Amino acid sequence: MATGLTSNPRTELTFECPAFVFNEVFAPDGTPRPQWQKFLNAYRNVPQPEFARRNEQADRMLRENGVNYHSATEGGEGARPWRLDLLPMLMSSADWSVIEVALSQRARLLNLIIADIYGPQKLLEEGLLPPEVLFANQEYLRPFCGLGRPDISPMFLYAAELARSANGQWWVMADRSEAPAGPGFALENRIVSSRTMPSAFKQIPVERLASFFVHLQNALRRRAVRNIESPRIVLLSSGPTHPYYFEDVYLARYLGYTMVEGGDLAVRNDTVFLKTLSGLVPVDIVLGRCAESGLDPLELGGYAAHGIPGLLNAVRSGNVTVANTPGCGIVGAPVFMAFLPQICERWLGESLKMPSISTWWCGDANSFSLVISRFNNLVLKPAFQKSGNEEFIISDLTSEKQKEVRARVEAAPHAWVAQEKISRSGVPVWTQNGIRCGHAAVRAFLVEDEAMWHLMPGGLIRIAPDSGPMQLSVSAGDGSKDLWVIAERKVDPVSLLAPTDQPAELRRTSALFPSRVADNLFWLGRSIDRCDFLGRLIRALSERLVGEGNVDLTEIRFLARALSEQGQLEPGFVVDGMESQLPTLAEALPIAMFDPTEYGGLARTVRDLTRLASLVRDWISPDTWHRINVTAETFRTAQTKDWRDLADVVNVSNSLIGDLASVSGLIADGMNRGPSWRFLELGRCIERAGATARLLLTAEIKRGGASPGMLKTLVEVLDVRMTYRFRYRDNLQRNAVLDLAITDETNPRSLAYQIERLVQHVDRLPGYEARPLRSEEMRLVMDAAHAVRMLTTDDLSAPTPRSVQSVLKTVEETMSVLSDTLTRKYLVHSGTPRQITDIAGGSQ
Amino acid sequence: MKYRVTHKTSYAGHEAVSIGHNQAWLEFRPVDHQFVESFSLTILPEPSVKTRRIDSFRNPVHAFSFNEGYQRLDVTATTLVTVRPPDTAPASCSATWESIAATIKQHVQNDDRDAIEFAFASPRIHWNAEMRAYALQSFTVSRPMMEAVRELTARIHHDFVYDSRATTVNTPVAEVFRLKRGVCQDFAHLQIAMLRSLGIPARYVSGYLRTIPPEGQPRLVGADASHAWLSVYCGSAHWADVDPTNDALCSTDHIALAWGRDYGDVPPLTGVFMGGGQHRLIVNVDVLPIG
Repeated sequence: MATGLTSNPRTELTFECPAFVFNEVFAPDGTPRPQWQKFLNAYRNVPQPEFARRNEQADRMLRENGVNYHSATEGGEGARPWRLDLLPMLMSSADWSVIEVALSQRARLLNLIIADIYGPQKLLEEGLLPPEVLFANQEYLRPFCGLGRPDISPMFLYAAELARSANGQWWVMADRSEAPAGPGFALENRIVSSRTMPSAFKQIPVERLASFFVHLQNALRRRAVRNIESPRIVLLSSGPTHPYYFEDVYLARYLGYTMVEGGDLAVRNDTVFLKTLSGLVPVDIVLGRCAESGLDPLELGGYAAHGIPGLLNAVRSGNVTVANTPGCGIVGAPVFMAFLPQICERWLGESLKMPSISTWWCGDANSFSLVISRFNNLVLKPAFQKSGNEEFIISDLTSEKQKEVRARVEAAPHAWVAQEKISRSGVPVWTQNGIRCGHAAVRAFLVEDEAMWHLMPGGLIRIAPDSGPMQLSVSAGDGSKDLWVIAERKVDPVSLLAPTDQPAELRRTSALFPSRVADNLFWLGRSIDRCDFLGRLIRALSERLVGEGNVDLTEIRFLARALSEQGQLEPGFVVDGMESQLPTLAEALPIAMFDPTEYGGLARTVRDLTRLASLVRDWISPDTWHRINVTAETFRTAQTKDWRDLADVVNVSNSLIGDLASVSGLIADGMNRGPSWRFLELGRCIERAGATARLLLTAEIKRGGASPGMLKTLVEVLDVRMTYRFRYRDNLQRNAVLDLAITDETNPRSLAYQIERLVQHVDRLPGYEARPLRSEEMRLVMDAAHAVRMLTTDDLSAPTPRSVQSVLKTVEETMSVLSDTLTRKYLVHSGTPRQITDIAGGSQ
Repeated sequence: MKYRVTHKTSYAGHEAVSIGHNQAWLEFRPVDHQFVESFSLTILPEPSVKTRRIDSFRNPVHAFSFNEGYQRLDVTATTLVTVRPPDTAPASCSATWESIAATIKQHVQNDDRDAIEFAFASPRIHWNAEMRAYALQSFTVSRPMMEAVRELTARIHHDFVYDSRATTVNTPVAEVFRLKRGVCQDFAHLQIAMLRSLGIPARYVSGYLRTIPPEGQPRLVGADASHAWLSVYCGSAHWADVDPTNDALCSTDHIALAWGRDYGDVPPLTGVFMGGGQHRLIVNVDVLPIG
């Protein structure tokens, strides 16, 4: 066992590293490697509890920033938090530049291979690649043939998975050439670690990551088809179900690109356009963050969320750049590793500077017999799938399973590769129970800018609990680490914001407001108000159920009915003779409140809040986003405790209402009054007006007067207690309550107020000024406004307030029609694309 | 033999399609024994944009799209083409099938290397052990290639029922094999799958049959629509076309339009569209011998 210094075990960074792996921190004689010395000194000065506290702080920052990934194995919904171990991995900048030279060579080589595969195919002619590698390969997609441009190389962004073996040699474990995941996670890791350990960054010259992203921006801009000063760039994501959706959002925000899904783009006249509220806006460059096989449903089939029918023809016509060029993914398959050394020798006239993990293609007769002879010591993988999918570590399998895999390989040897196993190097990993040894998988990122490849001075480290082979995806492993490249001298800060003395051209709007964003903001607005409304109903009901002494059954029945109309409670609780049902109701309420399967229920709506907020993260302030996330998180964690007590329900709804009020405050104070705010507000007003009208209808204020209890409940749920008391003291009168709830334009909770705001918002919808006469949505809101305004004081105090009832019905219906109209007109620009062949049925 | 081939596709719905992107494999590819005198492609309404390119199998493809909606789309391809009988099979076709398969596997010759593109599973063509076993009944030890291919074609023709209701364009080959029913496209896919399971390259051919038979001969099945069959590679750059739907060795009654690994590479007309409610696709093919 090689261990570290042990003079002061409390603060020394010591860990047990198996002798058969490379120890990243300590040389075999136990002395620290030079690049670690400064860090070890700094670490020595941090007491253990302090370091523990900082790790917790890092966890909290990541959670609150919503850093997560979806685990495919957990199915659909499960977003797993990203985990960062604050102990970094350190590399000297001299060592890192050796890696940069080697990986630059590899990236150049891969580019030549990609260009040839989807071009002249000289590799086949020269016998450097067997034809099976393309023709038996389902990832070789013929529509990509001839897409390449002579002026640019196909791949500009590339990542390599690296491992260091016992003798200190670096190996490439996998190539990521399609749309490499991880640079955003690396950046987020860096931001969190530099904030939690600021002094370490002051003392140690750590290379900054920003230079890499500056190269990325420049390189992307230079790939524009035409020579445009500021080309319009979008980041194409495959949507919220994609495992690394967080990273899409994060990168789009950091790089300043509009994030889109396939449905946000449209191809017209072989040109790509972004659908915005004010019409179609041409797009020059698409940064793909998605599987290339789904890019164009017309030529590649399928219905991927990022698919854009007609995209490939737009690329062929030279009207748009997709980066990386579609087709780059193919060289990410492990089969290419078996041929890289020969191709490198022949085409670059030099040997491969960093070896790939030893790889044998079973389609070659000699390799095949070699593989069979030492089958149980190897890792078997499908030859053509990108590394990281199916793989078999033969020695770990039962003998039955070994036979099965062997039979599969023998049946189609050309479809398999075998690879050597490698022991990854050891690094210290911080845990609650002390430092242990983890094994490092390094992901290095490269970008090509002006014919030069640049290696990110940092990277993403993932930790495997044992030294054996590990899955190669970004989400695999046991947490992550930051990679610090230690410079020889002081590091100059780099920022993405180019320093300039040029004053900006002043603007009042941002040009690009995708329709989908408007749609999400609209529903976010609706969800915020829906949560608030349900929260108030639930709080009022639970307070009455826990109340001491006599319970007013009319109030409880009213609240239970209001909740059941909102789909939050079973209608069975609302029947007569409900006194006997009270205990059951008291039990049902907490359960119903947290039932995530109930559409429109509170738990579901709270979840919608975070989902929608994350979809529009670019369009609301970071504080608002953060507040919404915390609101949902507080609600969600309250439910995980095993409780059934109504007092807890009161607490949870109290804090929910309070949290939502601060969200509203942030929106009211900070959100720019542009179209994004307008759509959010439209959603809120429609939800509030509709829910208020429904509640008043439920209250059935009839002849004989509503009971004081009922009126008190209404005043409470509608949140007008204060105003009422100021005006009328304790004199609860039906007409006064109705005035406050319906006709009082000075009360922000009244229908009149909400509808007046709707009139203003609808009036300012895009394109409105250009149309003759009133639009459909304008006529709708004006109808509702007119109905409310025409109510008289007599109407409000009439014994049977029929006119009030009919106004309420009008308002309720109008809100639902208005919501549909806005959605149809502004928010959903197109239906789902369909394939002609799917409806063609039988053909000859 | 000279033909006028008219291939008309109409696509109509109750509501207008809002936007549509289409691709058509309706222009004849260059084929050694075929000579195209004239070709025209008429699209109504006039598309917003039209382009032509050559795909990776060297078939011409026409892409066109509509910015404005349409209620009805008519695509008509008219071609004047002369078909000569293909060259008679070279001696290689009488070599044993095993020797041909083995040579291809070595792919020392350029031609063999080009052919190997059609030797593997493709998106619509996969096979199972039963299909391979079915093929092996004809591909007995050391049998000459063409003899075995002809017998397999005849057996498929005999064992399978032509039934246009049994399958759709998306029915998997294994399902066709189980149902023992299908249309020309299914039988072509099936025989291709069987040949590839033995390591023999085979490609899917989209084309036409003459509509009116010569006097005294029966009308061929599948003549009023586009047709499909397959080409088998016999080594030395020679491909032989066989038609399992009609148990025929293709000659001047078969007019090849385009080829690929399977139907998905060369559908006469494909497209992605939005809106449009219920739609119907009507195909009319007329192959008129002239002179």
